[in-house]
Amino acid sequence: MKALLICPSERPAVPHLAASGPLATIPIFGDCLACHWIEHLAAIGARKIRVIASHGADQVLSGVGDGARWGVQIEVVAANVEPTRKEASDCYRPAGDADWLPAPNDVVCMSHLPGCPELPLFESYASWFAALVAWMPRALTPARIRVTEFRPGIWVGSRARVSPIAKLIAPCWIGDQASVGAGAVVGPCAILEDRAVVEGKASVAQSWVGPDTFVGPMTSVSNSLAWGSTLVDWRTDSSLHVPDPFLLSSLSKSPYAATTDRFGRTLAKPEISGSQSGLVTALRARMGRESNP
Amino acid sequence: MKIEILGPCLSVSEIQELTAVNSARFRDEVNAALTGSTMLIEVNLSKTRFMDSSGLGALFALYRATAQRDGVTLRLLSPMPEIQQLLELTQMQQLFEIVRR
Repeated sequence: MKALLICPSERPAVPHLAASGPLATIPIFGDCLACHWIEHLAAIGARKIRVIASHGADQVLSGVGDGARWGVQIEVVAANVEPTRKEASDCYRPAGDADWLPAPNDVVCMSHLPGCPELPLFESYASWFAALVAWMPRALTPARIRVTEFRPGIWVGSRARVSPIAKLIAPCWIGDQASVGAGAVVGPCAILEDRAVVEGKASVAQSWVGPDTFVGPMTSVSNSLAWGSTLVDWRTDSSLHVPDPFLLSSLSKSPYAATTDRFGRTLAKPEISGSQSGLVTALRARMGRESNP
Repeated sequence: MKIEILGPCLSVSEIQELTAVNSARFRDEVNAALTGSTMLIEVNLSKTRFMDSSGLGALFALYRATAQRDGVTLRLLSPMPEIQQLLELTQMQQLFEIVRR
């Protein structure tokens, strides 16, 4: 069966969430939003999914891949503007084709998480955080083996490092390869994405900490979204660029030197430039001559 | 930066930013203005748009200087939301009496 996924384009209420890429690729519980939706649609029978991206189609394609990991076929289509569900249906769903998922999963706009249509993601930072907290118990799907429920309401990545004297208060999520230092307090309602680092005696409560984000020792992140050096208070929408990296900063490398994407996957190597390519060709030819005199 | 002495109150205002550039001057000038009769120090942060760890250090130095004087109160007035966030991140809001006007 087939389905259409519409990527949300820009949402003025949450500009910081789109700072590093399209909203469809924003990391949520260790995977991107589009990946969560594809997993959900695959679980209910979709085998061909067309993803309509009006912003950053190449990044969406890089995030979701070809769909082989879910056993589905994915096609990413670039669009000029974000279509409505009806527009997408009119444009991409032939009238006589009955091999589609039943509504409302036939055409989905990723403005909420699977199974939570009552909790919009991008209306405000507060709605984003509320949706994530509500969805936390559903994030651990059978396909996700790198996170386990350590205690009721406390999910910890299998490669996370949590100090034995750190305090974890349910509900909280500690992503894969995240680190929680001695004496730190995480929770309640705290989400640490993959590879986030919370140093000793720091506290994170009622907050979301993005991937590769360093929370310095003895700092307190509360009622906030922290991603890199940006701190957003989801109650007031006030945002702060923290100037001192020992308080809050990004641990990811410069995008120019990056060898992995924000989910830790290896990026494609750059192609060999013309002069290097010529050199390689010449060396191969010479090696061929030497091996076949 | 403007420093006024209004009886027992020492008022510091019009601070555009408090960073490594001006934190030493802030500390020196406020300490110089402190007198034996100062009972209240008000640091008005309503116009402060940027602060870094040096600025926080200057406020903490003022907090320590105040703590050594019996009966002297230190208040931060109307910090902008970004500065309030920084104070909360560093847990320094627990040290100061923060008043909104």
